[in-house]
Amino acid sequence: MRVLNQQAPLKQEKHRWFLDPKWLIIIAIVGFLLVFQVFPLVYLVFRAFFSTGTFSLEAFKRVYTYPLNWSALTNTVVAATFSMIFGVLIAFPLAWLVGRTNLYGKKFFRTLFVATYMVPPYVGAMAWMRLLNPTVGSMNMFLQKIFNLGSAPFDIYTMGGLIWVLTGFYYPYAFITISRAMEKMDPSLEEASRISGASPLTTLRTITLPMMLPSIVAAALLVFVAAGSCYGIPSIIGVPGQIHTVTTRIIDFVYIGSQEGLTDATTLAVFLMLIANVVLYLSTFSIGKKQYITVSGKSTRPNIVDLGRWRIPITALVIIFALVVVIIPFVTVALSSITVNLGESVFAEGNITWRYWERIFTRKSIINSARNSLVSAVMAATFGLLVSCMMAYLLVRTNIKGKKIPDFMITVGSGTPSVVIALSLIMSMSGKFGINIYNTLTIMVIAYMIKYMMMGMRTVVSALTQISPSLEEASQISGASWLRSMKNVTLPLIAPALVAGWFLIFMPCFYELTMSTLLYSTNTKTLGYELYTYQTYHNQQTASALATAILFTVFGINWLLNKLTDGEFSI
Amino acid sequence: MSNIIIKDVKKAFGEVVVLSQFNAEFADGEFITLLGPSGCGKTTMLRMLAGFEKPTEGEIYIGDQDVSSPKNFVPPERRDIGMVFQSYAVWPHMTVYENVAYPLKMKKMGKQEIKKHVEEVLETVHLSQYAQRIPSQLSGGQQQRVALARALVAKPRLLLLDEPLSNLDAKLRDSMRFEIKEIQKQLGITVVYVTHDQMEAMTMSDRVIVINKGVIQQVGAPTEIYRHPANQFVADFVGKINFLKATSKDKVLTLAQSGQTLPYEGPLKGDVVIGIRPENIRLVSIKGDFEGTLVSKFYLGDVNDCRIDLGGELIRVIAEPTTFDVCEVGQSFNLRIDEFTVFEDTGEDEHTKILT
Repeated sequence: MRVLNQQAPLKQEKHRWFLDPKWLIIIAIVGFLLVFQVFPLVYLVFRAFFSTGTFSLEAFKRVYTYPLNWSALTNTVVAATFSMIFGVLIAFPLAWLVGRTNLYGKKFFRTLFVATYMVPPYVGAMAWMRLLNPTVGSMNMFLQKIFNLGSAPFDIYTMGGLIWVLTGFYYPYAFITISRAMEKMDPSLEEASRISGASPLTTLRTITLPMMLPSIVAAALLVFVAAGSCYGIPSIIGVPGQIHTVTTRIIDFVYIGSQEGLTDATTLAVFLMLIANVVLYLSTFSIGKKQYITVSGKSTRPNIVDLGRWRIPITALVIIFALVVVIIPFVTVALSSITVNLGESVFAEGNITWRYWERIFTRKSIINSARNSLVSAVMAATFGLLVSCMMAYLLVRTNIKGKKIPDFMITVGSGTPSVVIALSLIMSMSGKFGINIYNTLTIMVIAYMIKYMMMGMRTVVSALTQISPSLEEASQISGASWLRSMKNVTLPLIAPALVAGWFLIFMPCFYELTMSTLLYSTNTKTLGYELYTYQTYHNQQTASALATAILFTVFGINWLLNKLTDGEFSI
Repeated sequence: MSNIIIKDVKKAFGEVVVLSQFNAEFADGEFITLLGPSGCGKTTMLRMLAGFEKPTEGEIYIGDQDVSSPKNFVPPERRDIGMVFQSYAVWPHMTVYENVAYPLKMKKMGKQEIKKHVEEVLETVHLSQYAQRIPSQLSGGQQQRVALARALVAKPRLLLLDEPLSNLDAKLRDSMRFEIKEIQKQLGITVVYVTHDQMEAMTMSDRVIVINKGVIQQVGAPTEIYRHPANQFVADFVGKINFLKATSKDKVLTLAQSGQTLPYEGPLKGDVVIGIRPENIRLVSIKGDFEGTLVSKFYLGDVNDCRIDLGGELIRVIAEPTTFDVCEVGQSFNLRIDEFTVFEDTGEDEHTKILT
């Protein structure tokens, strides 16, 4: 047939795979990660075993026979384990109550619990320190008065106190993971159980819980690693009570500054990294595969369990929980920022002042630190988002072979404890191997990117996954070039995700403490570090004012994000 | 096995009324289909029977037991009902056997007895050899059967099916349709079946309830619904139909555009709409009721699907496949109308499309 006579192809595709921009992108990203993530981490492990130039376990012997280090190890494991257990024990019932029952004020509670996720953990430590200090803690004093106790009922400077604060600030990780899994579960699976004769409680036990088990385990591991590699909380709560953890020991060793100190820090860091990586492996690569995919054919609203006569008591219980774990700490920190004498009530005569607020907006060092934080967070977020976009495109739209490599590396990077990332960068990026970015903001930005880039990447990837490639193809068939199709079709559709992804990287970087503590120099102090030094050495009210300002910023941004993306994104 | 009475049931979600004044009575062992377009309220009615939704008003009785009324509400687990969900809802963390045994376990039945019953019902749905599989190893059709077995195993007094075939491919849908009907006959169980597929409704049901926008349009046997639709919506939703505007006067219907006429014995006068199913029009050589010109023809294998211009009205005619070879576009034909329905012209254009 004549019509089928084919014209010669418009442009002969040559076999120039080496110029394929996709490969260039992969090479660029992998190269960046190889230099700034893989190499430093490998070098860290190397240093731990070859501290003297030849292979020796000398350093390990020295470090792990020192009782203080041993207790730091056990403290870390104990604190992380209990935080994990309590975190899940709190998160699962809360997620179920908020997602599947007729609890009063579900939406409000959901927002409240999720919001805690964005709060810098050290804020919680500051609050609880003020509330449950064994001698002057205001909650202690209050309880003493009410129940007529001879001594303070709680002491925050104990292992119990540490676990309490860690749990209070890491259960939202589990709550978010479990809630999401619960939302994705097809409600008819539970309805099928009800119609088969099972009561709501039996359904929860025999269907909901087992179906959620993979997510619960993943959530538990997440809490475990987060609590174990946390520095802010143990440094504020633990250290005064002589409860050292691996993270505080590592930072102490680095501060000693000697070669031996660095070696010891390295050796401890290797332990932390090992735990984190094993857990990461378990949760992503083995349990991740066991997720039951149960997407429902149509969107029925989940069957809401009627709490019946328990509705009011349970709601009351949740209110008390929210008050104690979320509201009271935040209010305490906010009130501390306007109190002259912390020993007295805020409302005592002449005890209210705005001078600390004035200070944080006028003192030069604070403004400098805020600027540093802003600059490095903006850079980390911007570059991080750029990488995220390229990765998302590679992962979702191409079949190129090596695309899983950078994805894997970014996942590992975010799963590595902050202390370890920072330490490895110090060791390898201070001129020894031709790159000296120590004492600069650049090293900060790189550290932030390695730790927090994944949040952005996951957001963009999931947004792009939801956009059918045929939308782009339709644009191309209408005559637009690939680039214009991206600009006219894809970009507007994923714009909300891009905004969300940017802020998801920006926020934790903006108030970051752990890595900044190791990487700062006189000119590159950050907000988190500034706050920490005020809290520990100078003036707690100023620290509280800073913390409150950060809280307002974070919540403000979240609110803005919610508005900008029509409620599609917020944390 | 039992009869069901639905009395003045109304359901509203907030301000939105999804079902208004639902009254129906199902006999013991009857196969009832709730048929309607998506969003018409049929699934809501089914979920109220199951006990997943509470009626805003009205009462529901299953086997003379008051399961839902302003004073009383029996939760789903105590209604003794079997249900098959659209998404199958087969639990992925249990084997086929465990899935099917679950309702019996809830009844605290002994292990031996459970085994006997499960094996029996797996036999019925032809899944005996898959008992130890986990659901993800099964095809969609097999998962469907697991769901059916689970719904039947406890010998419920009522079986609810919520668009159970909509996720299956066409061939499988065909065979499952007969299978479900077969099992229902065998067990003599009362079935309420929800679908938007008129073919499923026609082939399986004893009675069909056609619903639109939360209101029952017609209740009747499939033949009744098809041959004597109560209104234009039912006529249009069930099967294909041509709607022609006309006026009725002196026992004659005159088409609005072409002026062709048709004798009419019915009671309606003035502006009317004539509904004629495409298969009730025959191409004849001797004098018919209408005359028309062939505009297009499509050979579908089992039929010849034609469009014919009556001189203003375009109608669809489904003719014998053999006519495809003998008729030419542009040729004139005599048309005989075997059967038609006359509706009052309500002025609503929605269902007076010339072709469907």
